[in-house]
Amino acid sequence: MLVLPLLALLAACQPSPRPINYGEDACHFCRMTVVDQQHAAQAVTDKGKVFVFDAAECLVNYRLAHPKQEYAYLLVNDYQQPGVLMPAKESSFLISEAIPSPMGANLSAFESQEKAQQVQAAKGGEIYQWDALPNALHP
Amino acid sequence: MFTIRWFLFFLGFLSLNAAARTLPVGETAEYPKIRLAIADAEAGDTIRIQAGTYCESGLVVDKPLTLIGESGAILDGEGKEILVIMANEVTVEGLTFCRVATSHIEDRAAIRVKNVRDFLIRDNELVDTYFGVYLEHAKKGIVRGNRIVGEPTNEANTGNGIHAWYCEHLLVDDNYVKGHRDGIYFEFVDSSRITRNVSEGQLRYGLHFMFSNYDSYEDNTFRDNGAGVAVMFSKFIDMINNRFADNWGGSSYGLLLKEINDAEIQGNEFVHNTIGIHVEGGNRLRYLHNTFRQNGWALKISGGCMYNRVIANNFISNTFDLSQAGRGADNEYVGNYWSEYSGYDLDRDGVGDVPFRPIKLFSYVVDQTPEAMVMLRSLFVDLINLAEKVSPVLTPANVQDPQPQMEPLPIGGEEFAIMEQ
Repeated sequence: MLVLPLLALLAACQPSPRPINYGEDACHFCRMTVVDQQHAAQAVTDKGKVFVFDAAECLVNYRLAHPKQEYAYLLVNDYQQPGVLMPAKESSFLISEAIPSPMGANLSAFESQEKAQQVQAAKGGEIYQWDALPNALHP
Repeated sequence: MFTIRWFLFFLGFLSLNAAARTLPVGETAEYPKIRLAIADAEAGDTIRIQAGTYCESGLVVDKPLTLIGESGAILDGEGKEILVIMANEVTVEGLTFCRVATSHIEDRAAIRVKNVRDFLIRDNELVDTYFGVYLEHAKKGIVRGNRIVGEPTNEANTGNGIHAWYCEHLLVDDNYVKGHRDGIYFEFVDSSRITRNVSEGQLRYGLHFMFSNYDSYEDNTFRDNGAGVAVMFSKFIDMINNRFADNWGGSSYGLLLKEINDAEIQGNEFVHNTIGIHVEGGNRLRYLHNTFRQNGWALKISGGCMYNRVIANNFISNTFDLSQAGRGADNEYVGNYWSEYSGYDLDRDGVGDVPFRPIKLFSYVVDQTPEAMVMLRSLFVDLINLAEKVSPVLTPANVQDPQPQMEPLPIGGEEFAIMEQ
């Protein structure tokens, strides 16, 4: 009986993502209300603090502004599955003028390189991986 | 020389007019479909659409035409984009547009204006269209007197009422917008004006500026939105005589100013908002003759705000008149009326004899620990506020109004704007 609440307490300490409240949450970086389910992002620190962003570019810029912070999760919305969050490091990113994103970077995330290439073929643009984004956004 | 040129211009205008025809569209008219009339029309013609429902989508206007809807003329998109304007000098007037479906892949709109100039979109009604009027790379156009009402089934998936992207010299006047993501959205839009609109019940913002410069908005009403207006990453925006009301919620505000410079905020009214104006990174802003009434915070200034002047405003019955992070040495507060002011005026010149310091200690506490808000009405809080007022320790001593007014300023109306000169 004593073990159960203890377990619950341990679980509570584990950093974990939370669902984004679209239309309610404000972007931690730019203050804009998060509504776009295809471009939002989330960071969970190693201590379990959750930050919500309205756009992947805000997550990139927030990381650049806080280089020492460690993260348990870095998540971005899948452009093709609105509302679904996926690991940023495993996603492929497309910067295309034909797909505007909330903060003007025209940046969208895709589940796989192939999916990004399919959209690139239709809309144009350049494909990047997560680690290359800071340089792509701030040339 | 000049007159001859004008004469020739006028002559040309007349001859053009003489050639222009009117093409009737209707069930029993010459053209049963709008598409056929557009195909047959020549530059300068007028297409007159009689009452009836036209299930036509993807209509492309590729020559200078005037489309006029008679009362009861309805264009039903059946889910798809309805009208695309791809020629200069097009007028769309008096039509009702409905049923454009939400899409994740494309931003469908009732009326799209693309790469053109000199357009006029007037007195139309847009009902349940994902995006209403979508302007991209458009110049010198007018959007006036339209009624744009969304019926969002899934609230998070609504488009913007009037959406402008890479435009200049627009006039958005006298529209009514309801039930969208942002009522009016400007991204990369320069030298444009937004006047006399009413924007309410939007999921996010009544009006939203991103990366837009040299614009103004005047005499608009923003109420009951997720938040009133957001002006972000923009320069030289004039905000004059607008009304921001009833924007309640945890992180809601009447006006958000984020990374903006050189703005003029004049003659506006902020009533019943959680935060009247929330500023983060605003430099060289001037707040003049505004009234803040019954807000949680009237003015909340976060880090990095320099050289702001708050002059001759009314702060009436707000829970907190001002919260300011940092010492704020460069910001100036002069000649405002603060209903919290309890000083005296022995020489009866209408100006209080002791300065007013608008930052309460408790607002400081709440900034650090939002949960402390439950203590707001307690005796303890009254005591620490009073103690701090008598001998300031934590609140910045230099944030003060040396000329607090004894009576509310008679703000509102044009005469006041002239007095300023």
